Amino acid sequence: MMELFFKPKSVAVIGASGTPGKLGYVIVNNIKGSDFSGDVYPVNPKSDEILGYRVYKSVLEIPGEVDLVITALPTPKLTVMTMEACAEKGVKAVIIESAGFAEMGGDGKVYQEQIVEIAKKNNIRVMGPNCSGIVSRNIVTSIYPMTKKVPNGNVVLIGQSGLLAAGMASDIVENESLNIKQVCSIGNKCDVNENDLLEYFGAQDDVDVISMYLETISDGRNLTKIAKKVAAEKPVIFLSGGRTEAGAKAAMSHTGSIASNAKIVEAAVKQTGMIMADDFTELKDFAKVFSTQPLPKGNRIAVITLAGSVGVNVSDLCASHGLELPKLTEETTEKLKDMFDTPVSNPVDLYFSVTKIGFTKTLETTFPDAFRDDNIDAAVLILAGFEYTQEAVQKKIIQKIVQDVGKPVVVCMIVGYNKYKNVIMDEMGKELPVFPSLISGVKALSKLCEYGIRQQKQSA
Amino acid sequence: MTTARILSQAREEKRTVLTEIEAKQILAEAGINCTETVLATSREEAVSLCDRIGYPVVLKVSSVDISHKSDAGGVKVNLNSKEEVEKAFDDIMTSCRAYAPDADIEGVAVQSMAKPGTEIIMGMINDASFGPVVMFGLGGVLVEVLKDVSFRIVPIDKNDAIEMTTEIQGKKLLEGYRGQDPADVECLRDMLVKLSDFVDATPGIEEIDMNPVFAYKDGAVVVDARIILSS
Repeated sequence: MMELFFKPKSVAVIGASGTPGKLGYVIVNNIKGSDFSGDVYPVNPKSDEILGYRVYKSVLEIPGEVDLVITALPTPKLTVMTMEACAEKGVKAVIIESAGFAEMGGDGKVYQEQIVEIAKKNNIRVMGPNCSGIVSRNIVTSIYPMTKKVPNGNVVLIGQSGLLAAGMASDIVENESLNIKQVCSIGNKCDVNENDLLEYFGAQDDVDVISMYLETISDGRNLTKIAKKVAAEKPVIFLSGGRTEAGAKAAMSHTGSIASNAKIVEAAVKQTGMIMADDFTELKDFAKVFSTQPLPKGNRIAVITLAGSVGVNVSDLCASHGLELPKLTEETTEKLKDMFDTPVSNPVDLYFSVTKIGFTKTLETTFPDAFRDDNIDAAVLILAGFEYTQEAVQKKIIQKIVQDVGKPVVVCMIVGYNKYKNVIMDEMGKELPVFPSLISGVKALSKLCEYGIRQQKQSA
Repeated sequence: MTTARILSQAREEKRTVLTEIEAKQILAEAGINCTETVLATSREEAVSLCDRIGYPVVLKVSSVDISHKSDAGGVKVNLNSKEEVEKAFDDIMTSCRAYAPDADIEGVAVQSMAKPGTEIIMGMINDASFGPVVMFGLGGVLVEVLKDVSFRIVPIDKNDAIEMTTEIQGKKLLEGYRGQDPADVECLRDMLVKLSDFVDATPGIEEIDMNPVFAYKDGAVVVDARIILSS
C-alpha cells in the first residue's frame, strides 16, 4: 500500500486553489511541473479550472479511481470531513499537510484521533498531518519549488521536519551536492511512520542510502527490528532530535535513573547497525560518502597531503575516530623513492614530489601508488585551493584515479575557499565527497569504515 | 515455577516492589548466580540460618516499604558469630521500626557475605517506546555520577553483550587494575544474555537492578537485587 504514496497513477488535491502563492495552488503547480504522468484532480467547490485542470466540487465527483489524496485545507474540521469523503470514495492513501492537529494539543488532538479512527476503519494509510509529504522527480506534494531538477538518484531523506523536505532539499538540488531520489516529511506521524518508510525504502532496489531525522520515535521496539534488517543491506543514517533530554521519569532503580531517552536511542542505533549523525550537515555528508564510495574492507587509511602540519592534524583526527595510518608496503616505498628526499611514509607528504615534477604529474603517479598499496583500505586526500590545483581538478584526474583504484576516498579542502571553492567543493563535489574541513572528512570516512567492517563481519 | 508464583502473589497483594529475597529467587531461576539469601522472621531463626550458611554473614531488613535499607539502619554486614547476629537482628528491628513506624517488616534477609570483587551494575528498564532495555556498567559509589554504562534493546545476543562490556569507558578496570583480579567478562556477558532472555519472556517487569554484582576472575555473583513490577 505504501506504493500508492510514491507511485500513484492518479492524484487528487483537496483544497486546491487558483490563487498563486497559496499552498493549494503551489501543490498543483508542482505536480504539473513534475514528471507525474497520471491523472490530476484538483478539488475545490468554488472553482472550475486550476492551471488547466478541471476542478471537482468534491472527491466523490471525481470519475476515475483516486490512488492518492493530498489535503491542504484551512481547518482540521474540514480535513476530518474530507477523510469521510475519501473513505466513501475508496481512497487508500492520504497525505494531510494542514497543521492544527496533535501538535497544538486540545481540540487538535481530538481531530487527529478522529482521522486515525476513520483511517483504521476504512483501511486508509495517512501521512501527516502537519507534514509536507513527498518530494521526488515523479511526484511532489510539498511547497518545494524545483521538481524538474530532482535527480532521481539513490538517496532518500526521511524527516519529521518540513524544512528537510523543502529548504534542505532545495539546497541539495540547487548545488547538485547529493544524488537524492525522494524526500519525505512525515510530520505528526498519526499513521505512516518511520518504520513504514524504512521498511518500504529498505525493499526498493534503486535506493542505496537512507538518511533519517526523527524527533520522536513512534515504536522503538519495531524500529529496532526493522532497522537491523535494513541496515544489514544498506546504510541507514540516523539523526535524532532532542537527544539531550534527561531521563525524566521518577525511577525506582539505579538503571531507571541513569537511563535517558538519548542513551536508549543511541544504543538502538548502535545495536541495529545504523550510522549516527550529529547534525543535518552530517545527515547529508554521510549520505554523500555512502552513496558515492565503495565500502572499505578495513580502517587502514592513507593520508595524502601537501603540508606536513595538515598531515599531522589528520593523523590525530584519524586516531581519535578509530582509523589507522599503517606504513606503506616496501614495494610502494621502493617505487616512490625517487620522488622524495626521505623514504615515503604515511601521511604521504607530496610536497617534495610536487617540487620535482609538478602537482598534476604527482597526482597522476604518487597518489595512485599510495592509494593502491595493499596496506591501505581508503584515503583522505587533502587539497589546497591554489592556482596549481586547478588543472588537476578540471581535468578530473582525481575522479579518474579514484574510479580506477576502486577504494573509497574523502577529499578535504583547506585554504583558498574564496577563490577556489567553486572548482574544488562545487565541481568536484558533484562526483566525490568533498569537505570544507579535515574533521568532517575524517568523521565521514570513519563512519564508512565502521559500516564496511560491520558488513565484512556479517558476511564472514 | 518460583517466578510465576512470586509474580502472581505480588499482584494479588497489589505490590509492585518485590523483596530482595523474591528478586534473587527469580533471578536464580533465570540462571543468574545470586548470593544465597533466606528470610528469618525471628532472632532464633536468623541464628540457625547463619549456622547453616556459614559466617561471615549479612543481615538486611526485609520490607517492601523500606526501599533505602541503609538509611533505615537496616543493613549489618560482616557478622562473624551467633552473638553478633543476635545483636544485629535486634538493632535492625529497633532502628527500622523507629525509621518507618508504619512499615510492614517481614523479618531480615540473611545472606552469606560475598568476598569483594570488581563492582558491576546490571539492570533493566521497560522503555515506553523501545520496550525492555538492559544496562551494564561499573558499579560502586560513582555509578550515578559517572554514568559509565551501556544499554541495549532486548533481546540481545552474545555480540551485543560483547559490545556492552567493551564500550564502557572503564573497561580497563575489568581487565584487572593495579593487582586486582581481572573480572570474568565471559561470565558477565552470559549473565546479560540471561537477563535479556528472562525479561523478553516475562512481561510485566518495569525495572531490575542487580547492584552490586561482584565479578571475580572466575565467576560473578549478584549481591543485591531489586525488581519493580509494572503497575
